[in-house]
Amino acid sequence: MSETLTNEITLTRKDFVSDQTVRWCPGCGDYSILAQVQRVMPELGVEKEKIVFISGIGCSSRFPYYMDTYGIHSIHGRAPTLATGLAIANPDLNIWVVTGDGDGLSIGGNHLIHALRRNVNMKIILFNNRIYGLTKGQASPTSRVGKVTKSTPMGTIESPVNPISLALAAEATFVARSIDSNPQHLAEVLSKAAAHKGTAFVEVYQNCVIFNPDEWNALSDRTNRDEVTLNLEHGMPLIFGKDKDKGIRMRGFTPEVVSLADVSLDEILVHDATSKPLASILGSMENPEYPAPMGVIRDVRKPTYAAGIMEQIAQAKAKRGVGDLNKLYRNDDLWTVSAREENQSEMAGELPLTLDEEYLDELGRAAVETTPVQDQLTEENVSALNPKVPITVDAGSSLSRAIRQMNRHNIGCLIVTDEEDRLSGIFTERDVLMRVTGLVDDLAHAAIGDYMTPNPIALKADPPIAQALHLMSLHGFRHLPLVDEENRPTGVISFRDVVEYLNRSLA
Amino acid sequence: MSKSTPVAEELESVAIRFAGDSGDGMQLTGTQFTTTSAVFGNDISTMPDFPAEIRAPAGTLAGVSGFQVHFSSRDVLTPGDAPQVLVAMNPAALKASLPELERSGTIIVNTDAFTKQNLAKAGYKSNPLEDESLKGYQVFKVAMTSLNRTALESFDGLSNKEKDRCQNFFALGIVFWMFERPLETTKDWLFKKFAKAPQIAEANYKALQTGYFLGETTETFQQRYIVRPASLPPGTYRKVTGNEAMAMGLVTASTKMGKPLFYGTYPITPASDILHALAPLRNFDVRTFQAEDEIAAMGSVLGAAFGGALAVTGTSGPGIALKSEAMNLGVMLELPMIIINVQRGGPSTGQPTKTEQGDLLQAMYGRNGESPIAVIAPATPSDCFDIAIQAARMAIRSMSPVMILSEGFLANSAEPWLIPDADDIPAIEVKHPAGRHNGDDPFLPYKRDPETLARPWAIPGTPGLEHRLGGLAKAPETGNVSYNPQHNEQMTLERAEKIARLADFIPEQEVFGPEDAELLVVSWGGTFGVVRTAVSRSQRAGQSVAHAHLRFINPFPRNLESLLHRHPKILVPELNSGQLALLIQGKFGVKVEKFNKLQARPLQIGEMREVITQTLGKG
Repeated sequence: MSETLTNEITLTRKDFVSDQTVRWCPGCGDYSILAQVQRVMPELGVEKEKIVFISGIGCSSRFPYYMDTYGIHSIHGRAPTLATGLAIANPDLNIWVVTGDGDGLSIGGNHLIHALRRNVNMKIILFNNRIYGLTKGQASPTSRVGKVTKSTPMGTIESPVNPISLALAAEATFVARSIDSNPQHLAEVLSKAAAHKGTAFVEVYQNCVIFNPDEWNALSDRTNRDEVTLNLEHGMPLIFGKDKDKGIRMRGFTPEVVSLADVSLDEILVHDATSKPLASILGSMENPEYPAPMGVIRDVRKPTYAAGIMEQIAQAKAKRGVGDLNKLYRNDDLWTVSAREENQSEMAGELPLTLDEEYLDELGRAAVETTPVQDQLTEENVSALNPKVPITVDAGSSLSRAIRQMNRHNIGCLIVTDEEDRLSGIFTERDVLMRVTGLVDDLAHAAIGDYMTPNPIALKADPPIAQALHLMSLHGFRHLPLVDEENRPTGVISFRDVVEYLNRSLA
Repeated sequence: MSKSTPVAEELESVAIRFAGDSGDGMQLTGTQFTTTSAVFGNDISTMPDFPAEIRAPAGTLAGVSGFQVHFSSRDVLTPGDAPQVLVAMNPAALKASLPELERSGTIIVNTDAFTKQNLAKAGYKSNPLEDESLKGYQVFKVAMTSLNRTALESFDGLSNKEKDRCQNFFALGIVFWMFERPLETTKDWLFKKFAKAPQIAEANYKALQTGYFLGETTETFQQRYIVRPASLPPGTYRKVTGNEAMAMGLVTASTKMGKPLFYGTYPITPASDILHALAPLRNFDVRTFQAEDEIAAMGSVLGAAFGGALAVTGTSGPGIALKSEAMNLGVMLELPMIIINVQRGGPSTGQPTKTEQGDLLQAMYGRNGESPIAVIAPATPSDCFDIAIQAARMAIRSMSPVMILSEGFLANSAEPWLIPDADDIPAIEVKHPAGRHNGDDPFLPYKRDPETLARPWAIPGTPGLEHRLGGLAKAPETGNVSYNPQHNEQMTLERAEKIARLADFIPEQEVFGPEDAELLVVSWGGTFGVVRTAVSRSQRAGQSVAHAHLRFINPFPRNLESLLHRHPKILVPELNSGQLALLIQGKFGVKVEKFNKLQARPLQIGEMREVITQTLGKG
């Protein structure tokens, strides 16, 4: 373990160059950004296999194909959503999102906002060329008012979005800006973004050589760029100009450019990357009215989204233990169907199984003090009741046929059997009264199977009369079927049989 | 035995409908009755029916919230067609539910709510309790509001409004008495739920008891019913809704894979309860993510799948519409993931709280280009558990998205669930390719397994396997961007064949009923209970009918084609205008009779039996 910890990660720029031919237009600003990213990567101290580049759609979004890392070229505007899922699934990864002004601020504007506010651990590089390049030259959400493009031949009439102000409004914890034409500066800003824990947002002014070639001319011109850009350093005064002779001070709520020849250095604003109000002011300063602020505008620490989830997982495990599926399934009101009950209904009356404890208790008591009638009832078996031969029908029989049969045989109950002649239900005159009369219109087309009591309790073999009486009184039965070992009906006893037996016995 | 003790009638099964204002606590009342019945050992099936508006105007038909529970001493597959008992808390509830009540059914009404004003709001010109309109029903008139207030007189700390909130428990008490239910389960629940407000718990329990005692002591109720415990297979049971079962199935799958469960989603009815069930399960390494929109939820699932998690999203039809773009990328990236669509009434926003099966063709074909995904559908609420695990296995085997088509009806309905032993559920094997070093052969991210055609699932963090995925057309094996026409055709066919080969992995289609049946009823999804019950009754009535219920729709089971040719007549009942019928006709060229309902309500057993008879009678 110590070996891996102390192992220096030695990577070079070449390790990050993929085998794919770069297909951007000659002179495109993307080449510069790609080169600086490939230059910075080896300095991060991160294993190459832990780096992932995710993009959406657009010229900039070809980026992952050219990086020899893990990567996804996803769908228009959605790169932050994939990056978020990936960061949650694997918080150890070093995730970069590459996007453009159309991809990130138009179709994907919502995702950008939420990735920023959640502080997901990802670095977002937004290539801002203020034009749609891949679709060949339409206005973008950052195109200036009046910009003439293929989709706006008379000039745009929309106000552009300011990416820095948007990021700040979304509570981004790291906000910075750089430009493709200043590789040194770009590399520094990317390094700082890489070091940030949480969402880092870097706007890069990028030149579209084909559809918007003059957009950044003023800021890119080496002879003049120091006059029109304001390089930010945390803790340092906001001074710019080739000769460092100009500065920014506040006048009321408005920043103003002043000459250091006229104003004392004390009045010049000092950059504080942790100050949100100052960040808002810097974000609102747009060229050519102000020098364009370049560098890290805001850099604060907040917990990352994935760290929050992992913390909750750790807490939950500490408090409730590692999840136990069996406990989860049982986290509700439970009830148990025992094999005994099951047998009671399905195996129909196998003696030891149908005797419930209450009955056994009663038998126990009876043994202590019994009447002659009780003795007789426990000694004599149900065969003494002269059980009737069962009249059986199958479940598909119609109710009209069933009732005709009951009438013909003058019986109060029919036994319903399955294909193998096993007991499957019982249908009694009480069922006729309660479930059929007045409720079923067409008796000829109603099946007895729908109206019978399925899987009735039955007596197996030849148990004592007491048991039959007990079952009848416990459940309120007027009829009890008798079955053989195979659950085939052998007889039926009725309440009337019991009364007749008692009459005989008492006579 | 006192004179007033009524006769207890034994019933095999009863369906009760609780109906009131959406603020009356009817869902709660129904749930309590269900839990008690389940614990008592009855087989149960429930169907909540609530308005889309959280608080629609009180007293109006739009605001009626209902909950139907069917409990039985035998196997119950459906919430019951027409309820036998209706508990109506106001005139609107009576009016909305009466058409569905069984003729000669029992009605328990709160007479206090039958004021002029409420009658007018419900559109009654005269009071139905006083005119002839309820003739033939057994009506029990109970002044619930005033009786309940009187019962709670001693609760000085409660306002009348708070006392009236206990009214639903008063009604529940009456029903508990009618059906001989014990009060303990609800009592325990109340004191647990209101542990911090014991007075509220006391008041509700008092209301429950008073309702129960009312039944016991007054002569109003001459009827009492007993429904004996059902005979279910032995084991330990709980009740479970489809969404609960789905959540537990997903956690089981991720645990059996040894992976975190990533659930990226956006709130939508009727799928949100899956999120609610998963969010507390952090100790199972469940990583729920509430995204900013449906699109982001699907995007996050792609990212999490790339990262090696069991990646899942859940939504309803309108959400699928938004997700299709990223689902399509999922097909191209060839990563395993699960998309749950808890279907609701459509099109567009449609009927968020109602059920329908209208999204089958959207699931099959709702993406640009040739974009096949596996589609499976649970048959019952508890089947959602098995289907979720099955979806994970299929996704990993095919390295492709799998869509689960659930339904609002399944999501919210409850049934007893024979709790499995987690140790008996086999592990889900996941293979990631090992890292490589300099000098090894280059890694080919789209080199397919010859048997399954799946590509390797190489996850970031593995040295030497760095590769780029994307939505652009690709070359075989390397996955590099390619516009070569042959490459495009080959990759498209391979992606399709990969899904088709899942048929080797899923069970063959089972048929309920005889091989030589004249009619085969083919259904899918949440209509299972109704169709199976109807077919079973038709069989018992001597009709020549069999039933095949499809859980796997893409691919279809291997033997489906021969089954369809085995029976002279095919009937496909669906809660849409014939989407499965279209698939079956198109794929197998068989003639199919259709039965379609577009009322955003479940099928009914009675109508299903009629259609079976009609279809058999056709020449």
